[in-house]
Amino acid sequence: MPGSASLSAQLIRCHASTVLLRVSGESMQAAGIDHGDLLIVDRGLEPRPGQIVVACLDGCFTLKRLVAHQGRLRLEAAHPAYPPLELDCFDGARIWAVALHVVRTLKAP
Amino acid sequence: MSCEPWSRRRQAIVLIDGNNFYASCEAVLDPAVLGRPLVVLSNNDGCIVSRSAEARALGIRMGQPYFQVRRELERQGVVVRSSNYALYADMSQRLMATLEPWVEALEIYSIDEAFGQLSRPADQRSLHDWGRQLRHHVLCQLGLPVAVGIGPSKVLAKLANRLAKTTARATGVFDLGSMDDPDPHLAAVAIEDVWGIGRQLSRWCRLRGVADAKALRDMPSGELRRRCGVVGLRLQQELRGMACLPLETLPAAKRETCVSRSFSQPITSQSELREAVATYLSRAAEKLRRQQQRAGAITVFVRSNPFNGTSFYSNSATVSLPLASNDTAVLLQAALPLVAVLFSPHKPLHKAGVLLQQLRGEETLQHNLLLPLPLEQQHRRTALMATIDQLNRHYGSGTVQWAAAGMQTPWRMRRSRLSGAATTRLDAIPMVRA
Repeated sequence: MPGSASLSAQLIRCHASTVLLRVSGESMQAAGIDHGDLLIVDRGLEPRPGQIVVACLDGCFTLKRLVAHQGRLRLEAAHPAYPPLELDCFDGARIWAVALHVVRTLKAP
Repeated sequence: MSCEPWSRRRQAIVLIDGNNFYASCEAVLDPAVLGRPLVVLSNNDGCIVSRSAEARALGIRMGQPYFQVRRELERQGVVVRSSNYALYADMSQRLMATLEPWVEALEIYSIDEAFGQLSRPADQRSLHDWGRQLRHHVLCQLGLPVAVGIGPSKVLAKLANRLAKTTARATGVFDLGSMDDPDPHLAAVAIEDVWGIGRQLSRWCRLRGVADAKALRDMPSGELRRRCGVVGLRLQQELRGMACLPLETLPAAKRETCVSRSFSQPITSQSELREAVATYLSRAAEKLRRQQQRAGAITVFVRSNPFNGTSFYSNSATVSLPLASNDTAVLLQAALPLVAVLFSPHKPLHKAGVLLQQLRGEETLQHNLLLPLPLEQQHRRTALMATIDQLNRHYGSGTVQWAAAGMQTPWRMRRSRLSGAATTRLDAIPMVRA
């Protein structure tokens, strides 16, 4: 391959619709996403069940897995302490973006 | 005049612009303000320059001074933001990049509007559906609402864009080119709202009973030509559906570059004025290098507050450079002596600015035998400037600056309600709760 490998070409599908977010909280730990991680999300993709998504709930960005459950959509955490959230229980809730990559800076031991 | 119906014309011009662009940008990355009334203030938090749809619905007017409506905004729970130009510029770039593949040619007309050129498909009478898809696409990709106006010329596209916002059933898209009878729509647009008609010209039109776009289109050409020459004639032809104004897809090389700001508090000492001028000149020089240009002359201007009743003071001074330059140090050396000429101890200054003039391309200098420095040293200066520009772009404006620009700067623009650099700086990115 000519040229040098570009990280942004690897991780960013479309610059215009890509946004970086910083993760706060532990609810997605079992899915490999930790507190403090950098998240690369894309607003231009159609969210599908099974994907990890950013939802707008009560004026906050919330990171969860989108799951179809008994004909309804809900958001599930990857942590036993966090119960699932039914999407239609929230006023004006919507899926804002699909999470595509996690960037984690390794800490010195 | 062509008798062919507009809808059979192959070429269509589209004008796309962001609705309440600044206010919309503020809400894009901040779910806490999405759907809430929000206003954006001008420089120094002066007056309202952009309102979200919700703020509009509350009856908040454009241009209202902030200090007058502050209490009322608080009472109504309106979110107030200072102008965040870094954010708007970034969203603008995203918007233009998103529009590009939808048209055959794109002219970026301003931070929030672009003209596009496209062919009307033979089997489709109206481009309305195309416009709706584009609108939906931009909203999904970026979260920005846009209005889409389509017509056979730029002036008509601009007019259609206006109709897209004001016509109740248009829902953000209006294709004037597909109308069997565009006349009622043209008649609905007041003469003052026609693109290219200034205040004087609209007064002149009204005196002749020409009150709307349709009347302007149909008025005698000779009369219009006598009043405003070929410019007026072109405008009329554009209204008749003949495209006379070409799409400018390459920005014209700039002849001048200006950086000026109002101070948050009046400047009363010469040293403060020096710092302000040095700061603006550094910014202007950075712009110049980005445009790959050099300046042959520098004008510095100052003025007092025209509204506070004391005697108004305004002055400017110009210096010519022996050799055109875009080196900040060279420009500072030439321009800073002007500060002493312009400063007057008993005139508190409200605003200052620098104007870089006689701009020319960077390459012209390389053939000049009168280089101020040996060529190798010249290259080192160029590399230094490039490094400084890069640092300031990445880590925020003013990260690296000339000492002349000052360290404590009480005169600096007031932006008390600035949102974060959500898309341009890594340390300011928004948070997602997990």
